[in-house]
Amino acid sequence: MTSVKFHQDHAWIRMEGGIGIIGISQYAQEQMGKIIYVELPDPGTEVIAGEPLGALESSKVTSDLMAPVSGEVVESNQALEEEPTLVNDSPYERGWITRVRLKDPSEIDGLMEEAAYLAQVSKK
Amino acid sequence: MAAIRAAQLGAEVFLFEQEEVGGTCLNWGCIPTKTLRTTAAAIEQFHRARELGIDLEGGFKPNLDRIMARKNEVIQILVQGIRKILGSYKIQPLAGRAFPADPHLIKVQDHQGREQKFPVDKIILASGSRPMVFPAFPFDGAHILSSNDALTLKTIPESILIIGGGVIGCEFAFIFQALGSQVTVVEALPRVIGLPSVDEDCSTVLQREMKKKKIRLYLDKTVEKTEIQNGRVKVTIGPSPFLSEVKEKDKKPVEVEVQQVLVSIGRQSNTEALGLKALGLELDARGWIRANERLETNIPGIYAVGDALGPSKIMLAHVASTEGIVAAENLLGHSRTMNYEVVPSGIFTFPEVANVGLTEPQARERGLEVRADSFQFRALGKPQAMGEIVGQVKIVSELKSGKILGVHIAGPQATDLIAEGTLAIQLGATVEDLARTIHAHPTLAEAIMEAAHKAAGASLHSLKNS
Repeated sequence: MTSVKFHQDHAWIRMEGGIGIIGISQYAQEQMGKIIYVELPDPGTEVIAGEPLGALESSKVTSDLMAPVSGEVVESNQALEEEPTLVNDSPYERGWITRVRLKDPSEIDGLMEEAAYLAQVSKK
Repeated sequence: MAAIRAAQLGAEVFLFEQEEVGGTCLNWGCIPTKTLRTTAAAIEQFHRARELGIDLEGGFKPNLDRIMARKNEVIQILVQGIRKILGSYKIQPLAGRAFPADPHLIKVQDHQGREQKFPVDKIILASGSRPMVFPAFPFDGAHILSSNDALTLKTIPESILIIGGGVIGCEFAFIFQALGSQVTVVEALPRVIGLPSVDEDCSTVLQREMKKKKIRLYLDKTVEKTEIQNGRVKVTIGPSPFLSEVKEKDKKPVEVEVQQVLVSIGRQSNTEALGLKALGLELDARGWIRANERLETNIPGIYAVGDALGPSKIMLAHVASTEGIVAAENLLGHSRTMNYEVVPSGIFTFPEVANVGLTEPQARERGLEVRADSFQFRALGKPQAMGEIVGQVKIVSELKSGKILGVHIAGPQATDLIAEGTLAIQLGATVEDLARTIHAHPTLAEAIMEAAHKAAGASLHSLKNS
């Protein structure tokens, strides 16, 4: 998980061939409980770091998914339409949410390592 | 309402109506759409049969003939009810097209073309509105429909594109989707129901629900042209004229082919045929009647109420009713003014949306220091038991005093729940007042109390620090 970076609002991002793959953290999915719907951004949507790029609904709460970086959506994980609980079962692999072409690839350097992210959430 | 109130105050009243008493609301608006929505809501429940523990054997399908028959029956019951009340005040509605020949004379042309004259002391104009025509796509009742046409359909369209994602467009979108149509909505603004009085979070909820229901939504887009080919409509969708800048990838028009198009881009005034200009009555550029806060026009003794006053005076049936009462009292010597500050509005989508008072941006525009506190229905027992968990209550309150300035609800029974918010604002209540009021459990109204608790500093059904 060394290549995975975290945003304070619980999104993770991993670079793969110049594209950032985005999902929500293990901690966030645990907090939300069973995910029942993921609102996926359409390809071509422009996203801005720190602003909502989609939303997740669990049986207990609806929560915006904040973009960890700025860029343009290339593809979203259609498998989540049928099976939103992939976010619970496999938050870092099969439960990825969207793929974004970063406006500024260096933006990822400003994000946290997992240890720093976990330290931050444990303070809350 | 104006006629009844005037009669109660002792006036002899003549009521002229060219179609049917009850106006747009009862005959072409609120009531017929709500009867269709009731069917749509039942279909939604049938879709959830499995979840609710019911095996539906043999399936189900909507029967439009029976749906429309029920709609007509409901209208008839209410029309007869109004006629009965009018009758009890000795008011006999006269059928025909009426117009004021001078401030003391009404001329009426009945449906056979015969003209009658009625000398009167005072006049109330309640000439209403009708669906606005988009000049490029005139209504033909077959392919290009008005909201009136949509209420008299003989078959459920396999696909329908709705121009305008406002209140009427969104209500129909959810109704047609439930009836089984593939629905597309084209809205020129960046959000559905983009009225300044509607909270943005409510629009977000509706957009997400549309996505879940596979209603195709084009925001910031406009319909450039429609072509009728082999009984179908080819619709060309392009960037909205309201956009300050259009990105290269958004410039390319999109083509969609559908069976029917519903145009719901607003409403227009009915005043042009009334000869009001010749009378010297002041109208605005779009033909809406100008009236003061007592609802009197520039011609003494002529008053105006309802949709005829245009969108600046909020075109809602319950506003028109109140205006009718105020105008009737004023013309009989009382002195009342209209207050448009505390007007609830209900939008009958899935889920419902309702609001009263100011949104957060509106309050800030007035220079007020405010906070906005939301509470999601899904955190409560009743919505979970109902299986209707989408949506939230948001309370906008003044930071220092805690005075409630606005309540915005998207969720189950939102249009009924808003009454509590309306009363709270009308009485000048604070978030403390609402929070300390015991609300029955388990009910949807608890969401209002919880949002108030949050605003007052302590929500009990939220995680600590959330």
